Amino acid sequence: MIKLTGLVKRYPGRTVANNAVDGIDLDVAEGELVTLLGPSGCGKTSTLRLIAGLERPNSGEISINGEVVAGPGCFLGAHRRPIGIVFQSYAIWPHMTVLENVMFPLRVGKHHGRRADMRARALAALDGVGLADFADRPAPALSGGQQQRVALARALVREPTVLLLDEPLSNLDAGLRDRMRDEIRAVQQRLGITTVFVTHDQDEALAVSDRVVVMNGGRIVEQGLPQEIYTWPRSEFTARFLGVSNTMSGTVTALDGEAADIAVSGGTLRCRACEGIEPGQRVSLFLRPESFRLSRRRHDDSDWAGTIAFSIYQGDCWDYHVTLAEETVKVRVYREKVGLAHGDTVYLKPDEDAVIVMPEGGAVDAPPPVRLTPRRGQRTDR
Amino acid sequence: MATLTETPPIHEPAVPHRRRFLEPRYLILFGAAVVVAYLALVPVGTMIYASLRSTFLGLGPATWTFGNYVRTFTASGFGALVANSFGYAAATALVSVVLGFGLAWLVTRTNTPAKGFARIAALVPLIIPGILNTVAWALLFSPQTGPLNQVLRAAHLPIFDIYSLRGMIFVQSTHVTPIAYLMGVAAFTSMDSSLEEAALSSGARPVRVFRSITLRLVRPAILSAALLMFIQTISTFEVPQLLGVPNHTFVFVSRMYDALQSFPADYGTVAVIGVFVLVIAAVGLIVSQRITKRSPTQTVTGKGFRPKVTDLGRWRWPAFAVFVVFFLVTVVLPLAMLLWSSLLPTYRPPSFAALRTLSLRNYLTLFDTPSLLDSLRNSAITALSAGLIVTVLTAVVAYLTIKTRIRGRWLLDGLATVPIAVPSIVMGVGVLYWYLAAPLPFHLYGTLAILIVAFVTIGLPYGMRYLGPGISQINDELEEAASASGAGWTQTFRRIYVPLLMPSLLAAFLYTTIVAFREISAAIFLYSQNTEVMAVKVYDLWSNGDYSTVAALGVVMVLLLTIVVGVVRLVTRRFSLESS
Repeated sequence: MIKLTGLVKRYPGRTVANNAVDGIDLDVAEGELVTLLGPSGCGKTSTLRLIAGLERPNSGEISINGEVVAGPGCFLGAHRRPIGIVFQSYAIWPHMTVLENVMFPLRVGKHHGRRADMRARALAALDGVGLADFADRPAPALSGGQQQRVALARALVREPTVLLLDEPLSNLDAGLRDRMRDEIRAVQQRLGITTVFVTHDQDEALAVSDRVVVMNGGRIVEQGLPQEIYTWPRSEFTARFLGVSNTMSGTVTALDGEAADIAVSGGTLRCRACEGIEPGQRVSLFLRPESFRLSRRRHDDSDWAGTIAFSIYQGDCWDYHVTLAEETVKVRVYREKVGLAHGDTVYLKPDEDAVIVMPEGGAVDAPPPVRLTPRRGQRTDR
Repeated sequence: MATLTETPPIHEPAVPHRRRFLEPRYLILFGAAVVVAYLALVPVGTMIYASLRSTFLGLGPATWTFGNYVRTFTASGFGALVANSFGYAAATALVSVVLGFGLAWLVTRTNTPAKGFARIAALVPLIIPGILNTVAWALLFSPQTGPLNQVLRAAHLPIFDIYSLRGMIFVQSTHVTPIAYLMGVAAFTSMDSSLEEAALSSGARPVRVFRSITLRLVRPAILSAALLMFIQTISTFEVPQLLGVPNHTFVFVSRMYDALQSFPADYGTVAVIGVFVLVIAAVGLIVSQRITKRSPTQTVTGKGFRPKVTDLGRWRWPAFAVFVVFFLVTVVLPLAMLLWSSLLPTYRPPSFAALRTLSLRNYLTLFDTPSLLDSLRNSAITALSAGLIVTVLTAVVAYLTIKTRIRGRWLLDGLATVPIAVPSIVMGVGVLYWYLAAPLPFHLYGTLAILIVAFVTIGLPYGMRYLGPGISQINDELEEAASASGAGWTQTFRRIYVPLLMPSLLAAFLYTTIVAFREISAAIFLYSQNTEVMAVKVYDLWSNGDYSTVAALGVVMVLLLTIVVGVVRLVTRRFSLESS
């Protein structure tokens, strides 16, 4: 449906080594929702704008529905591509009513029909997002969530082949964001429309996607099903970006089919092996904060002893920063462990099935970004 | 959305790269760029050319030479000319900046009960054109019959000679002080008063805070304002011509006019002085921009904080009195004088006896005199056309420089702001020279078109000032959403940009119309028998000693300008209410 081949975008003033989009190959199947996920400046929005026709690629090719829309010697502007787009700011035209906003794509097309038909189609689109009653309101009078729905109705009214969503949720507050996220996914699946969704928020990406494409430095780091990416990231960048905050290094002592024994400072862990490691090799281990059992008493000799450095209460969980012999790890505990305070001694038992193993320095496509987990709701692009 | 039917064919064959430049977007943008470049560069270029030719517009062979420069700079009296011009401009800059910033400090930083004057003062230079202000003060301080001099004489004080350098400085100061005042208000309100509070809490006494913190922080704004007042003063026509020339006190501007009026006209000298004034203005402007760019007040955030207010205590009312005097001098006295003279058949000082002779006869004469009605019509045509052209042109240029990444757009932005640095008088001479000398297939000299060309060029920076911020306020995504909806560029411009920009477009149109309507420094070189505009007509009548008609015409001008200014304020207020 959408096919990107060797796509490169350079903005004036940047060096060639610093391409905003640096050779992207991507196929999006019909009806699929693909998320481009990455930190600010990773090229995800630029990629979306290239697909939309709002930017001209420096090289590479884009085809939509089998037709080349950008490539050597040819370029179709956004107004000639079969797309609908929802912007981060929604871009609702403030000088028009809600209905006029949604009717606009029908009126400017070359093949617009009678006014009554256009009105009916626009109203149907508004009905699809539950805003039919707001048709004659001035657009600026709507709340953020409503503007967002108008933007969605406007993007869909022309019945485009491709729907493009540029951080559509990042300007909404937390509760509304979850509701709109569900709604976007519901509409997308009902229409079966091919969709590209850009976000810097891993939760959003995991929640709505058929496939997640992790990007960094203008390139694709890895891609896969949301659950694959989340559970078994294949690169350090992805692991860190998805909130796997504890890293340690170790040495492979034994390899036994699917499992590997790895010596770390606190003892030996028996973990799921990854490709390309062999006994004696140095490896990196990644552990999610929730992959530990934390207790005051030592249950087992292999437990790691540590002391609480500080704790943060998150509402539904506690985050404890525990100082071990050589490193500090972050441990998340969902059941109440009240009363742990700075300096208390605790014992940690890592969940060996959840340890992610990677060859040290290998399988890492790019250095981690400065800020590992962008805060929600922050505008980070451009 | 439940009614999804088959997708209509919304794709078309791809456009090859080469044809991009034939799209309307590129044609319109390219056209605007050519026009702006022509307007901005040709007059200045022509004048520089003329200053370097042995003869210009004359018979005989012309060669490249520095002769004009040598002749002008070594002529007897050139030293006095430079001294007069610089003295006049520097003194005016000093007076207007000290007064303007002082008043601005009182309004923004103290509890003076003068806030009402703040808004009126801002409108004065718009409503009372320089030529009328000059005429009014010449009448007020007329040596024999001027009411103010009669008061002085009655008090056994020496009379004030308005036809002198001091008189010129005084009148020009009354005209530009409101502008300096506005710049002062901007500087004081954008300054974070927590900087002053920090000094106070460090133990500094208020006077010390004012000296070491407040004054230091506004110093760049003061210097920059002084430079701008200097440039404005050195390049305007009316005050030196009306008040200096009768006393043989010449400055650059009146010397240029004199050299063009004499026979045979000395085109070379005019061009040399023009280039000289141009260089002064350009250098001054560049320095002023450098100063503001490095100003510490630039670091102030855009939040609407309230500046700290100093309690003046007992000094509140004396400070208020200062404002009353300011208001009297800049508004009431000149307008009252014009009105009074316009109602008398021949001028006489205010008295009860004179009251009985009041009549509207001068106004009737106004409407009976075809040449006066012509000047009204000419002013309307030239000002409105200039306003319209500037608005359309700067809308396209601002779009091009702000919203596109077309190569060379910075050059266009520079070109559109060049006329700021070109004094109106230089613009007038440059336009005149070009259309007299250039081998063009049409003749603009003696038509209204040549005035419109000059007014458009002078108005370009004003248009940019409104439309630049206006266009940057429009989020890029609003345009992109239209594009992604299938709208082509022309449709997007018409349906998205024009409606959203309407307040800025109207403000730019009305403001440039006002500027063109008041304009005399360029028009004085470009008018001919049938193309006199009102400002020029005022000068003309004044030179003929027809003071009563001048006054009546002036009152009509003020009324017209008041109406336009009123519309501007209504429009901007309505739109700002709507958009909020």
